[in-house]
Amino acid sequence: MLSIARLTKHYGDNLLFDLRDFKLDAARAYVLTGMNGAGKSTLLRVLAGLAPADAEGVHFAGEPVKLAPYPAALRRDIVYVHQHPVMFSTSVAGNIGYGLKARGMVRAEASKLVEEAMHWAGVQHLRGSQPATLSGGEKQRVALARAKVLHPRLLLLDEPTASLDGEAREQVLSLIPSLTQSGSTVVMACHDRDLINLPDVRRLKLRDGQLEEK
Amino acid sequence: MGLADAVRGAFGLLFDGDPVLWRIVWISVSTSVLGLLIATPFAIAGGYAIAMTQFRGRRVVIWLVQAALSLPTVLIGLLLYMMLSRHGPMGGLQWLFSQPGIVAGQVVIALPVLLAFTLAAVQAADPRLAETAIAHGASTWRVMSTLLYEVRFGVMAAIISGFGRVISEVGCAMMVGGNIAGETRTITTAIALETSKGEFAQGIALGVVLVTIALAMNGAMMVLQGDAHAARGRG
Repeated sequence: MLSIARLTKHYGDNLLFDLRDFKLDAARAYVLTGMNGAGKSTLLRVLAGLAPADAEGVHFAGEPVKLAPYPAALRRDIVYVHQHPVMFSTSVAGNIGYGLKARGMVRAEASKLVEEAMHWAGVQHLRGSQPATLSGGEKQRVALARAKVLHPRLLLLDEPTASLDGEAREQVLSLIPSLTQSGSTVVMACHDRDLINLPDVRRLKLRDGQLEEK
Repeated sequence: MGLADAVRGAFGLLFDGDPVLWRIVWISVSTSVLGLLIATPFAIAGGYAIAMTQFRGRRVVIWLVQAALSLPTVLIGLLLYMMLSRHGPMGGLQWLFSQPGIVAGQVVIALPVLLAFTLAAVQAADPRLAETAIAHGASTWRVMSTLLYEVRFGVMAAIISGFGRVISEVGCAMMVGGNIAGETRTITTAIALETSKGEFAQGIALGVVLVTIALAMNGAMMVLQGDAHAARGRG
């Protein structure tokens, strides 16, 4: 689904990573592990077009593309979710429908998809709530719904269970497998053992600027 | 005239609907609002662009904008006077000693205030907001409208501050407007003139109007700040 012959990222003179033959298959889940500062979040941000990097031989869905300037096709098909997702100053339903509105989808169709996404994330009771009233776990679920509703080919999740505990963490964990079932490739940067040990998840480790499959 | 008589006379002018006094208030408010309306879109777009774009000389631009905040309005008036005078580059417009000239001055005075406040508001916004909008497929314009909506309280504070600055300035309105009765006489230029003539009643009445406007502006700012705190909530 995504292949990059070579992807390098520098901070000044320092090399953060130099990845060769980086490949992601369609409808698969990957966990990306590594020490703090190894470049996990940066790699996700590069793939999302939020950080620059040097890339050679990039193919997405079989088509050759460039990462800079970031093409509209990738912007449409790749969605990135922050470690601590930020909500817009609108209702939960408005937040989930944000990307659909940005794509110019008609209101009736968007409402139907938003309703489905809220049901999937178990946040339908929060539909009219303002983001300021949400807990961390609720925000994370709303953020996942906001991403899933766009049916991205590639979903990039930065530490989706970080700073969550108890029931909130379990609820988020339970949503992850269904993302790949709906056809998305999911890459999660994480330290969470339960995420790393999810079934049918490929494990990638960033170490010393190289990517290892475990 | 004693102070008590002047104050009594001032409130008499205010409550009797003195046409000269209210004409002055109207000229002040209308030129200030018009100047602000013209300056606001440019300043907001400029403040947003400077905050969101990395370019060579950006720090110099920010430095100049912030320095322009402390420019004396009389200096702005002098520059505009030279531009608008008969032999100046904009002399053909014939705006000197006219309301359009005052409005042009208000635009120049309001721009740096609006620009600096908008720039500060956008810079203070959580960078994840713009990234989230981009990562969910928003166009450049939608990212801009989203972010400006998120910092709307800061932008509104910018507009209120800009209005406060233009309605209370005297130097530029005096030089460019010429303080012509019924045409370009504003609250501040009228106060200066009446005081110099020893006619305190109208000056005090106009001062009361100006203080009332200032109180209303600050009240609006406090309401906005309260709304901003409420919007932030525990998130």
